[in-house]
Amino acid sequence: MEHSISRRRFVGAGLAVLAAGDARAQPVFRLGLTPVFLDNDAAVIDGLRHALSRGMGRDIELVQRRTYQEITGLLLERSVDAAWLCGYPYLQHADLLDLVAVPVWRGGPRYQSYLIVGAGDAAANLSDLRGGTHAFSDPDSNSGYLVTATDLLRMGEQVESFFSRSIFTFGHRNVVRAVADGLVRSGSVDGYVWEALAVIEPDLTARTRVIARSEWLGFPPVCARCDSLGSEPVRALQTALMSLSETEEGRLALASLQLDGFQHATAGLFDGIAARMRDLDL
Amino acid sequence: MTWFAPIPLSIKLPLLAAAMMVLVGTVASQQVLRSLAQVQDARIQELARMHVEGLSVALGPLVLRHDIWEVYDTLDRAAQAGEGRRMVLTAVADERGRVLAATDPRRVPVDSDIASLGEEAVTLDALSVDGASPVLSLLAPLTYQGRTVGQIATELDVSDLLSERRQALLFLILGNAIAIGLLSAAGFLAIRKMLRPVTTLAGQMTETQGEPHPIPASDIPRGDGELARLARTYNSMVGAVAAKADAERRLAERERFVALGRLSSSLAHEINNPLGGLLNATDTIRSFADRPEVVRQSADLLDRGLRHLRDVTRATLDQNRMDPETRMLTPDDFEDIKLLIQPEVSRLALDLAWSVDPSAVTGCSVAAGPLRQIALNLLLNACAAAGPSGRVGLIARAQGGNLILQVTNTGSAMPKPALDRLLDDGPLSPGGGVGLRLVRDLVTTMGGAITHAHENGVTRIAISLPTSWEARDAQE
Repeated sequence: MEHSISRRRFVGAGLAVLAAGDARAQPVFRLGLTPVFLDNDAAVIDGLRHALSRGMGRDIELVQRRTYQEITGLLLERSVDAAWLCGYPYLQHADLLDLVAVPVWRGGPRYQSYLIVGAGDAAANLSDLRGGTHAFSDPDSNSGYLVTATDLLRMGEQVESFFSRSIFTFGHRNVVRAVADGLVRSGSVDGYVWEALAVIEPDLTARTRVIARSEWLGFPPVCARCDSLGSEPVRALQTALMSLSETEEGRLALASLQLDGFQHATAGLFDGIAARMRDLDL
Repeated sequence: MTWFAPIPLSIKLPLLAAAMMVLVGTVASQQVLRSLAQVQDARIQELARMHVEGLSVALGPLVLRHDIWEVYDTLDRAAQAGEGRRMVLTAVADERGRVLAATDPRRVPVDSDIASLGEEAVTLDALSVDGASPVLSLLAPLTYQGRTVGQIATELDVSDLLSERRQALLFLILGNAIAIGLLSAAGFLAIRKMLRPVTTLAGQMTETQGEPHPIPASDIPRGDGELARLARTYNSMVGAVAAKADAERRLAERERFVALGRLSSSLAHEINNPLGGLLNATDTIRSFADRPEVVRQSADLLDRGLRHLRDVTRATLDQNRMDPETRMLTPDDFEDIKLLIQPEVSRLALDLAWSVDPSAVTGCSVAAGPLRQIALNLLLNACAAAGPSGRVGLIARAQGGNLILQVTNTGSAMPKPALDRLLDDGPLSPGGGVGLRLVRDLVTTMGGAITHAHENGVTRIAISLPTSWEARDAQE
């Protein structure tokens, strides 16, 4: 692998010299990642990068930022070629962004938002959490903010007044940690992340308890700018994502992500999120 | 400390040495523990300072932004590091003292007052492992870019340091106990060895019976140390004492011969007086050999004169027998004494009063020789003191298991030097006789006592002698 890349780089560099600018060196593909999944695991990140790099036939740089907003901004300003976003920021910028692929988890492209509390907490639903402290993942996260915020709105409540204090941890795993460690009473977390953690860090999730699950909503998709969706690198990415399950390396990467694969997505997949966004804007 | 006084020096000094070692060990241990405490304090302060400064750098901007999660995440990650094991709890508050996050959020919830955590907290410089509590509380300002933006409260687990201190104390006690024990034993033996000459000296001085013995040369320490000099001085003293005793013996012997000399003139007179009569009797026998009644009369005269001479001779021989102590006193001894003193009494025309209780003398078990010497010496002194036409008396009787020998005389009282020789053991003043001192020595040796009185112009010296060894022992 490294040998072929080196050779490719070498050939590319040679052509660049010979063609004096007419020839294009294969640029590095930059893929933005939000903390939508287990972004703290370097092995998972590396596995994904290697699998996609093999599938696309080029180097991939995975760009990570702390917030969804930063990654969305990078995508919008073309600092990254594509990004694994969340349905909420995708819909926020639906006029500029388009769907490249959506992961398939447990047989479908959907997931849920979980409302979790400490394992010893007696709360049974969102109403019981009044006056407590709450951890959100990210203000631009569907499962980590939008769902709970709109649930509260539907109850006639506001986040700021319903909870005594709410914090953003900028990572779904951090939400689970904050609740498990007792930093906050409750948290809004990506159901997929919580379930994945239940497999790889059962001691962590065992200290939390899910008291509410949202409806099934569109899984965080991989997006690109509309104007670059047809470009070769993005198409190569789309192909690589779709065919991850066909290579051993891809299957390993998917297994470490606990995903079944990727599939084409349509905007209708995110209607549930769109509905909640409308509630929020009312 | 009176209990300490009777303990022998050979025990006392080693004990003192051991006590000194215990004292030194205790002081040294105290110093070690103090140094350990200072090192631990410095260590814990340095650690706490690094902790606070490190957190200040890492948390400054987060505290400024009130980013609760990041503050918590940083604290949590720091707690997972090695240092975290000592920092059992760290809480960070904003400038108003409201807790942003703590490593144990359940114990110190977000938005609680950090003051409630730090009631017993001290500042960084006052941090000290004082041994009272296994957990120290520290409250320090969180300084960022030169200004205080919050506070850091930390609880430090110092149980390991306390354990280390206890262990050090235990090791010190054990080590010191062993070292002091060994050193004390060695010191005890060494000092005992050093003091052995003193012990030997003390033994020689206290355990000698009869007369002191010199320390053998092999027991005298080598060199010219104090103890060697002491031993040599002691040996010199023993030699001097022996020489003195020898001299006194010789003096006593001489005194006996002096007394004998004084007697011999009387004896010569005593023998000479009848000699004229006896020679006359022999002449008479030669002249009137044919007259039986004259011869018989002269023979009777010769017989009386010769018997008298025989008695005088026997008394003199008995007086000078070489082993007089082996024979017990009998009434005959007093007759001998009377016979011996008679010439002096006659010469000075003295009035002699003589009273001897035969029953008291017969069963008294008193050595004859010393008593004869005592009586003769006292009587000779009494005769001299009484002067011409004076009165001299002797009484021998039993009283309370003792034989009382009393010699009296008229005349002037005994001069003080003479009384000292008779009644004291002090040194003899030069020029004086040794007869009275000989009396004292003999009476002392026999376990007796001497009393003296001078009343109404009569000097009375009474000798009380135990009549058996049992009585003598009882008297002692």
